[in-house]
Amino acid sequence: MLASRTMPAPSDGPGRGRRHLLHVAIGFPPAAKSSTYRLRETANQMCAAGWDVTVVTIARESWELESGIDPSLLDGVDPRVRIVELPLRRADLETDIRRFPEARAADPVGWVKKWRARNQESFPEPVFGGWRPALERAVLALHRARPVDLTLVTCTPYVTLSAAWTLWQQHRVPYAVDFRDGWSVDVVRSRTAFGPDSPEGRWERKVLDEALSLWVVNDPIAEHYRTRYPHLADRVTVVRNGYDADSTPDVTGRGAAKAPLTFGYLGMLSSTAGEWRALLDAWRLARSTEPLLADARFEVRGHSGFGADRGGGPKVELLRRYEDAGVHFGGPVHKAEVAGVYARWDALVLLVLGGRYMTSGKVYEYAAAGLPIVSAHAVDHDASRVLAGHPLWTGACGLDRDGLAAAFAHAARLAVASGPAERLAAQAHARRYARSALLAAGARDLTARMDRTPLLAGGHTP
Amino acid sequence: MTDILLIAAQRPGLAVLTDAVGALKERGATVRLAAAFDLDEDRAALERTGCDALHQLPRGFHGRSSVVRREAERRGPGEQLWLRAAHDRAFRALAREARLLVALDADAVYTVWRLARRHRAAGAVHGLAPAVQAMRTGAAASGAGRLRRTLPSPALLAGDLRRAVRRLPGTLVRAATVRRIMRHPAGARAWRTAVALPGLPARWRAPLARSAAEGMTWAGRPGGAALTLLGAARRTAAPELRAALLRESAFADLPTGRPPRALDEAVTAWLGLADRRLADGDRVEAATALHHALPLAFHRSVHIDQLTSPLAEDPAAYTRRLRDCRTFQAVTGTARGRAQQAAPPPADRPVRLLVLTNGNANFLGLVLRHYADRPDVELRFLDVAEHKELARLARSHWRIIADRLDARTWYREHTEKHLRPYLDWADTVFVDWCTGPVAMLTTIDPGTTRIVVRLHSYEAFTQWPLLADFSRVDELLFVAAHVRDLCTAYVPQLAGPSAPRMRLMHNAADLSSFERPKSPDARFTLGLVGLVQIAKDPLWALDVLDRVRAHDERYRLLLVGDPMSPLTSGAARNYRAALEERLAPLERAGAVERRGQTDDVPAALTDIGVILSSSVREGCHLAVLEGAASGAVPVVRDWPFAAGGVNGARTVYPEEWVVPDPDAAAERILRLTSDVDRWQAAGAAAAKHALSTWDWSVVWKDFDAALLRGGQLS
Repeated sequence: MLASRTMPAPSDGPGRGRRHLLHVAIGFPPAAKSSTYRLRETANQMCAAGWDVTVVTIARESWELESGIDPSLLDGVDPRVRIVELPLRRADLETDIRRFPEARAADPVGWVKKWRARNQESFPEPVFGGWRPALERAVLALHRARPVDLTLVTCTPYVTLSAAWTLWQQHRVPYAVDFRDGWSVDVVRSRTAFGPDSPEGRWERKVLDEALSLWVVNDPIAEHYRTRYPHLADRVTVVRNGYDADSTPDVTGRGAAKAPLTFGYLGMLSSTAGEWRALLDAWRLARSTEPLLADARFEVRGHSGFGADRGGGPKVELLRRYEDAGVHFGGPVHKAEVAGVYARWDALVLLVLGGRYMTSGKVYEYAAAGLPIVSAHAVDHDASRVLAGHPLWTGACGLDRDGLAAAFAHAARLAVASGPAERLAAQAHARRYARSALLAAGARDLTARMDRTPLLAGGHTP
Repeated sequence: MTDILLIAAQRPGLAVLTDAVGALKERGATVRLAAAFDLDEDRAALERTGCDALHQLPRGFHGRSSVVRREAERRGPGEQLWLRAAHDRAFRALAREARLLVALDADAVYTVWRLARRHRAAGAVHGLAPAVQAMRTGAAASGAGRLRRTLPSPALLAGDLRRAVRRLPGTLVRAATVRRIMRHPAGARAWRTAVALPGLPARWRAPLARSAAEGMTWAGRPGGAALTLLGAARRTAAPELRAALLRESAFADLPTGRPPRALDEAVTAWLGLADRRLADGDRVEAATALHHALPLAFHRSVHIDQLTSPLAEDPAAYTRRLRDCRTFQAVTGTARGRAQQAAPPPADRPVRLLVLTNGNANFLGLVLRHYADRPDVELRFLDVAEHKELARLARSHWRIIADRLDARTWYREHTEKHLRPYLDWADTVFVDWCTGPVAMLTTIDPGTTRIVVRLHSYEAFTQWPLLADFSRVDELLFVAAHVRDLCTAYVPQLAGPSAPRMRLMHNAADLSSFERPKSPDARFTLGLVGLVQIAKDPLWALDVLDRVRAHDERYRLLLVGDPMSPLTSGAARNYRAALEERLAPLERAGAVERRGQTDDVPAALTDIGVILSSSVREGCHLAVLEGAASGAVPVVRDWPFAAGGVNGARTVYPEEWVVPDPDAAAERILRLTSDVDRWQAAGAAAAKHALSTWDWSVVWKDFDAALLRGGQLS
């Protein structure tokens, strides 16, 4: 099972005396997921902190069904990192009808519903719960092949918790959880996702109780966990996402923008069709009222839809209906091309879900792009905290059409008035969010926690 | 050039479709769209997407048989689309040409899945992006020759399949069941042989047989499909799988129009399975097994759509294996009785009468009009077919059986909920037709409400009387004694202590309106009114016509009513073809005239001097009553279904009306129409008998007694 695609460690590793980190990171490059940058940087920084890192993810072909793959992402992986790809695949996203049993062909929606219910019999997670046995077998096999000193699982999917738990239960391998957006907090609806006595609640409590450390991406989520589990408060660590330096454009020589302006959105099209409609209506209004925007263009780039709907779906249809207002949907962008895309744009549009518990990874990259930013999200949103003080930010006003139209006009005026100085100042504001620094701090903290746990560190259970 | 067939149940998003079609055509594809939605509403916009052709799939089941319609009702939208599309010859041709089949939405997936099984070389994907990717990776661009290259030839299959089949990988075996091979007699025969090989592993036999049978059905060989499944079943030891294959064989045989060859074995297998499961204490599965056995034993292809019926010939012998089955005994022996007797009719207020039927009120018009005008009756009419929940409960065959076995209580609770208000209101419930609603109604205690059920003739050849709990029925009305005899011979409760009171009751018919003067040619005009069912056997009438025309070519036959639809069943199709073949020269010669369906039967009868009943099976042939009342001379075939018994046509009508065969019929006609006076006298006598026996002015008193006076004659 593990032999499906294993990138062997280079000849200079694993180094004698280096501890072995098992990083269960489903979504690791080359998956073109929004989380992939964090996962890559985590592996790189743990490597830099002295660990031999083995990453466990799923077969790259599986990502073809979901967000696609971006082979250029592998270029940034520390060559010492060993990647193990498990032959796991999301059956619900399968599009090859020849693979369907008749029951699924007859009722695709009903079949997926039952499949989700079956998955939850293994682990309380509808889409990924069924992966639990394979994950557990895989990590146990890897531990047998080379004993693991620390497991770091990253969620989603939450079923990776079971892998850490199994190694802990059977071999007392300590583990940490990179919870990112958390589990028991619903970051989209800004509320508790489930109660403590639910299957999810019992799993979360059980796993976190024994975890060496718990990483989350922002302070409100950290606060949620410190409140929910006071006894874990000192283990909760905020490790923000940050941006990658190679994704930021060089703005040193870039002067004021000239009409026709180009606004851009880059990221998954994860907001609802209703939110997109509100944004596009505001854009249309702004174009009709702000002379600077009269012939402006709004480019939307990113992944849309999964499985049979990938590359399409109602949101893409919606975007195409606004072509007369200068809206253009151009599909996803490879990581290596991101800086170039930002360099062509004059202003950015940040449409993100959720509220105070949500940050989004994209906001850091936007902040570091040195461009005016229109915020289309709740006022009380963690992205607002990241952008507060950014010199080219127009502020957040929710999805109010008039407010957003004014923000577009404001951004347009900022774009034509900003020279290199303003852009560099904006980038300087974002510099504290450089991903490498944030994750390096996280890696150091985790390593230090291991060092402070002498009874566990290096103590393998046969 | 790669042909790509897009299939859409719903209107797709046009922008995304346009992009994808552009991308596919850039790679050299020809893109066709088959749509189940109304193409005309969006034709112009869809043409702008760049599709090379748009094909409208059938949007309904117009012109399809009732079997298909009923099947469709049980299926989800995806399977319904397939049932419609598979009938579309042009669509099938498009699918054959396609190298890539693309479902654009979830409801189109099943159609693509089914097509993919027949067209092994074609790619099959769900969604436009996967289609573009398939083109990009070359998965769909393999060219038309691929099919021929990957399939074994029919000669190979026919020659040495016995050995070859063991070696063939599964995919290749499936590929070898495509229509092109199955159309070839040698290919089909080879498959029948292969699936019945003694040494074939059980895990292969059933899938192979099913795959081959599907291919044969697809290739228009339903008989071959049935034989294939039957052969496999006979080699299958596992009882469940064997029973399932036998059942599939029986259903595969239906389009041939003859009683399925596997039927007896299938019924026996399912009954055995039912008893085994009952013995294991698994009442739910026992109910399921009986639920499969009963519809087979009483399938219309055996009893309704044929000119003979093993049930009619010897009901005791035919149902012996049923009555020997313990599960059947438990179900049909369920006689829960009622907590209270039916209350006597109220003296201080009108009787509340609920008349209930299930989509067929053909024989109720007069009854409803009669009681609607009566001050001593408060009438309500309930057509179960119009009541969504009750309609569902009335056809819940499995749930009724499970209820009788106490395997489930859901059915009882729901019936209580939906039917109790009607029972609480009514003093008497009169259920016309002893079918599903009676089984439903008798699931619950009727309280003090009197339950009266009328059984015509058709129901006697269905399973429904077996599922009624007659201990909760106060009175069972039969339209004829021979129908009663048949039912009491095989429905255990009707021969036991819980049997309700049984009474003969003539159909309600207003015969006075049929007394009209005959036209001058009527004496030489034989009439057959109603021929929509095979049981009416109009070919027998043609035999009679041939014989009388041999004496005098002035005799002609008037057919009133539409003939049976060839879409009803395979048997109907066969019978209709034979009928048309006989009718064609007779019509050209002016010996037969077709009048088609009419609402004015009295007017049609003015041209008819001799009314025929050519049927093999009747309860009381209403057309004969009406014809006799009109003054036509009745000539009634001794209905073969009842001819061997104590009662039959000879006890329904005066004996002299009834004839054993076409020769006797011709003799009676020639004798009574030989001169005007004799014909008129015979017609007058028939009219007098009809009006004095069957007219509503006589019969209504019996209805009053049964429905208003607790069964007591005044």
